Amino acid sequence: MGTLIKQELFKLVHKKGTWIGAALIVLVQFGIAALAKMQGKIFGPADMFQSTFLGTSMTLFVLIASTASIVSMEFQYGTVKQLLYRKFYRSQVFLSKVCVVVLHMLALFALELAVTFAIKFAIFPQVDLAAKYMGTPAWQYLLIGQGGEILTALLLLSFVLLMSTLFKTNAAAIACGYVGYFLISMASTLLLMVIARWHWVKWNPFTMLMLPQQLQSPDIAKATYLSNPEMIGGLVVYTVVFTLIAYLSFRKRNV
Amino acid sequence: MATELKVKDLHKFFGRKQVLNGVDFTVETGHIAALVGPNGAGKSTIMKAILGLITTNGGEVTIAGHAVSITSHQELDNVGALIEYPGIYPFLTGRQHLDLFVTGTKAVKKAKIDWVVQAMQMGGYIDTKAKSYSLGMKQKLGIAQALLNRPKLVILDEPMNGLDPQAVKNLRDVIVSLAKGGTTFLISSHILSELEKLADTVLMLNGGRIVQQTTMHELQNAGTKVFTIHTVDDEGARAALINQGIQILPGNKTIAIALTEEDSLDKALRALINVNVTITGVNQVKHDLEGSFLDMIKSGEAK
Repeated sequence: MGTLIKQELFKLVHKKGTWIGAALIVLVQFGIAALAKMQGKIFGPADMFQSTFLGTSMTLFVLIASTASIVSMEFQYGTVKQLLYRKFYRSQVFLSKVCVVVLHMLALFALELAVTFAIKFAIFPQVDLAAKYMGTPAWQYLLIGQGGEILTALLLLSFVLLMSTLFKTNAAAIACGYVGYFLISMASTLLLMVIARWHWVKWNPFTMLMLPQQLQSPDIAKATYLSNPEMIGGLVVYTVVFTLIAYLSFRKRNV
Repeated sequence: MATELKVKDLHKFFGRKQVLNGVDFTVETGHIAALVGPNGAGKSTIMKAILGLITTNGGEVTIAGHAVSITSHQELDNVGALIEYPGIYPFLTGRQHLDLFVTGTKAVKKAKIDWVVQAMQMGGYIDTKAKSYSLGMKQKLGIAQALLNRPKLVILDEPMNGLDPQAVKNLRDVIVSLAKGGTTFLISSHILSELEKLADTVLMLNGGRIVQQTTMHELQNAGTKVFTIHTVDDEGARAALINQGIQILPGNKTIAIALTEEDSLDKALRALINVNVTITGVNQVKHDLEGSFLDMIKSGEAK
């Protein structure tokens, strides 16, 4: 298993897109920081710090593309046979890919957080980490949000992984991931209205993606009709279910 | 000699279509087996089944005595393969492809990579990105990946695809040399003249079954022996042979006679000498793989 993970990491590290993605995150963060520096009234530094200078959104953007290609590229390049005819089993090959997705996700979240704090200390020393932000110390508010973002990223990426096992090219899987991501960003108000009308709708996976907001602002629970443990539980269950379906789909695919 | 690969009563359906219908064959250790058959006969399917890549609907594959299936892969540690077309990551260089799959200690890994790069004559481009490779270069890299870890069994599906004549000759030399060292090969190719130069064992596949397993030697010497006789006066020679009641095989520009009796050739040569026809050469016609292959197709169609 260690060999397989090493091989997956080798491919990830040697893909130009991996480094372009990481560079894009940092560039956007510095770009937003520059905007906040120049237009502080519109882009308040404290708010921008909490939004990680758009680092989290960019991280998800990059991760969706990277995850979509991790399985589909093997079919696209015809490399899947040489992965599977060895002593390893399909389950091990799939699991190694899941591990690398998680490692890549953690690395990129660490990067965007490190850059967020670096920008705060270098460019915005006036942003007080101890100051209350929505009633919670700023640093704590940020980290709680990031914890929620990591969990929702897992759910989103398990869905993208499932798509990438279903499609022959990674473009279709990437498109599905982006549509899902932007749909929830835009349609959350609508979703909450539907939940208010029919409470059972709260159990759909899109509600779980509101975890970061609910963790930071407990009042949202009144609209989602889910407690934090219920939401985290639901998120984990959906992630596991999507990953399992992705594995079954990967196992069934002809090579 | 030990059996390296054994395929027994292999069946495979794709939907309702039966692709393999009781495939049986064995390949001895250190032998080069040629798997030949028309398009769609199931060559790649057999290879995929051997490699545990697909489920089967009955039958058994054993490598060095150990069963291999989609759920039993341990023995594949000693197998290298190139199936259908080489799988190439365009963002990696040739050397990085080899780095990715090579096994062993650091020194062993380096030795294996250096050997295969040299053997496949890939030194000129091994450090450039594979996205710029030609078809032949990709093919060589695919073969190099199959041979890299010096497996005991190598399965190559159409390995000569895209290779120039020099590269084909070079590949043949590498395969023969490895086989002498004990590596077993199962190779399919439509370039029958190349397989003929390589193979010890011939497996003829048609209608989802192995219709003939034979050695190359047996194949070449199968059936009635035929000799061609070259003279300075073919017309006179033909007349002399007919006079003596010796049957000349039709459809040949040169004079060809079948060795129907032990002394048929002796009689023919004496007949020519008696009428003072100068004989410039006598050759035995060998059955070639292409002829046998075409006969097999014809007999399949006749059925």
